[in-house]
Amino acid sequence: MRKNAVAGWLLLAPSLLLLGGLVVFPVLYNAWLSLFDKHAFLPVQRFVGLGHYVYFAHDEEFWNSFGHGLVYAGATLVLQLAVGIPTALLLNEGFRGRNLLRGVVLFPYVIPTIVAVILWKWLLNDSYGLVNHLLVASGLARAPLAWLGKDYIMLSLVVTSVWQFFPFVVVTYLARLQTIPPELYEAATVDGAGAWGRFRHVTLPQTRSVLFVIILLRSIWMFTKFDTVWLMAGDGGVSRYIRTLPVYAYARSFTYLQAGMGAALAVIMFVMLIVATAVYFRVFERQEALS
Amino acid sequence: MTRASLVSRRHFLGTTATAAAGATLLTRAPCALGQQVRELNVWHTEVEAQTVKTIQDTSIAEFERKFPGFKVKQQALGWGDLNTKLLASLAAGSPPDLTHLNPFMTASLYVKNLLKPMDELVRALGENDIHEATLKLQYFDGKYYGVTHAMGATYFCERRDLREKKGLKPPETFEDMLKLCAALTEDGRYAVQMPGEKLYMGFVHPAEWLAANGGSWVDTKTWRPQLNSKAMLDSLEYVQKLNRFMPAGWSGQKYLDTLAALSTGKIAMAHLSGARTIGYIERYAPESMRDPEHFQPLLRPRGPAGPRGISALDGENWAVFTQSKYPNEAFEFLRLFYKKEHYMAYCHSVPIHLSPIFKSMLNDPEYLSHPRIKKWKSWHDVMINGLRANRFLPIGFSRPEDNLLPFLAELDGSSIVADMVVEVMVGQKAPKAEADRAQRRAEELLTQLGHKRWS
Repeated sequence: MRKNAVAGWLLLAPSLLLLGGLVVFPVLYNAWLSLFDKHAFLPVQRFVGLGHYVYFAHDEEFWNSFGHGLVYAGATLVLQLAVGIPTALLLNEGFRGRNLLRGVVLFPYVIPTIVAVILWKWLLNDSYGLVNHLLVASGLARAPLAWLGKDYIMLSLVVTSVWQFFPFVVVTYLARLQTIPPELYEAATVDGAGAWGRFRHVTLPQTRSVLFVIILLRSIWMFTKFDTVWLMAGDGGVSRYIRTLPVYAYARSFTYLQAGMGAALAVIMFVMLIVATAVYFRVFERQEALS
Repeated sequence: MTRASLVSRRHFLGTTATAAAGATLLTRAPCALGQQVRELNVWHTEVEAQTVKTIQDTSIAEFERKFPGFKVKQQALGWGDLNTKLLASLAAGSPPDLTHLNPFMTASLYVKNLLKPMDELVRALGENDIHEATLKLQYFDGKYYGVTHAMGATYFCERRDLREKKGLKPPETFEDMLKLCAALTEDGRYAVQMPGEKLYMGFVHPAEWLAANGGSWVDTKTWRPQLNSKAMLDSLEYVQKLNRFMPAGWSGQKYLDTLAALSTGKIAMAHLSGARTIGYIERYAPESMRDPEHFQPLLRPRGPAGPRGISALDGENWAVFTQSKYPNEAFEFLRLFYKKEHYMAYCHSVPIHLSPIFKSMLNDPEYLSHPRIKKWKSWHDVMINGLRANRFLPIGFSRPEDNLLPFLAELDGSSIVADMVVEVMVGQKAPKAEADRAQRRAEELLTQLGHKRWS
């Protein structure tokens, strides 16, 4: 038995080493780093304890970024669900060209983020963008709108992100829809339920757990989303209006060159997500128990 | 558990160990092979294809002939990419052997003992022949730590024909500029557009405004930031008014977008331009307008408290790191880079934008004989006249002594100034309140970075 145990550990060792080196160590090192005033590229550091955390509690930029993150994650999550669930329901029905449409719907999710953002920035450009051209040509707007300017940049970011990520909701929700036994719908129909009734009393309860996972994952991913936000405005002037916490953490580390502060921001985000996830689990479990 | 399965596991573990050892040996093999050819890594910011090719065909070709054991690997990177990549490579302890640096980064690296002096090289190149506008930008404690690769003035690029049609002279002051902009904004065309990148609207231009209005980033002695000084407040009021004459979405557009907008007639002036703009004009402007009669550089106006308008002089310097693997070879490479025929070809690869740093070459008939310089001679003259009249400062400098400030890169990186400018211009917020907020943030930043000298 002992030999088996040793062999077992030996077989596990590569995975443990990888996990330890690539996940546990960076997280712990990051937490340790957050206690120091550390320059981003020089071996210069000074212990400051919880100083960075105290600083961020009063930092206007931190709260602005947090606010932007909430708006961005909240709006994109709601819209991804609002677009993704009806699309999944539609693609679950039998009609001609369904398979082709299923492939087309996946398209935004499979193209690289950089391509998606460049495409949308081109469409929304106020000098030569197609969107403004169509708006002006159709008489819906008298002059081109500055989609990438201060007033609309958040809206443009949300639209781009929803377009890019709603297929995840579609695919995940559709996978669960396809496993719902048709007898349940037949029984509901016999009981006199219409389309809405079948959705409310059969589909929703059956897809409850997958919705839980979708909401959990998508809210975490949107709150920590860096690439789309960064590519949309970079560190240009207008980035001030969509700067989220991951972007602020990046800036503190690599443009302010304050690695310790960047690490503290990463820890804060980590804790926020852990707490939010725990609360979400608790609420879901309570509702499950009630139902 | 049977004996057969135990043997099988041992066999598996043995095979795994052998495979791992083999893999390790294999990964070592390329290192051993690589030792035969040493690589000199050179990073620079001239991304134009013809410039990259010119360097390859001239300096690199000769270097590789002279030093057969070496292969030169050049990487052309944009400014923003260069800074990020450099910092990462320094953090990893493996910077390139030779690189371009922005002058505002050099002091920061010098005080951290990361740069090698290059006095011998500078003297060999001809200390007296290097233009004063660049010679001492990297001169610290009696030694040279860099030499500028080439210089290119920046300025507005105006539609001269439109201004002249209005009967207006080139603007001398902020007020003149606002009047010109009011006159040129008509028929769906805006007078001017500033690039939305932070580096420009949040660092390069604010430095110009301060310099043109008698201000500076920080107090000379105490290094206390001066972001809410009178010079900055005047400038913010000026740019807040200027915003009226710019397209609403300018803060989301980039430098190259502004050049495209100028060439295609959507705006009458690009706020930031250099001789690279000529390329855009020659490609995108209507054919009958691709000439200096229609497109002309315009030097910056001065503020109410400034003696003269100041423009940024684009000119990164070459630097060799103390951590460079082959510093001596890097210096040898530079000698070849500045060899007259190679350097002439380099400067001709983007004429006027890459103006030579040598005074003797600026008026050399051979240099001036390039067809593009001949055609766009007035652009070259604007730069020469600007140099003569002290109208230029290096990128991000508010006064010549800013080369000694070891925190300009961090100030640029922090977005503090960019946030202030965008809130005042685009957000139309009160300049004083935004300047006070920026001042507070800048004081915090310099304190955190350990540069606080004020009490």
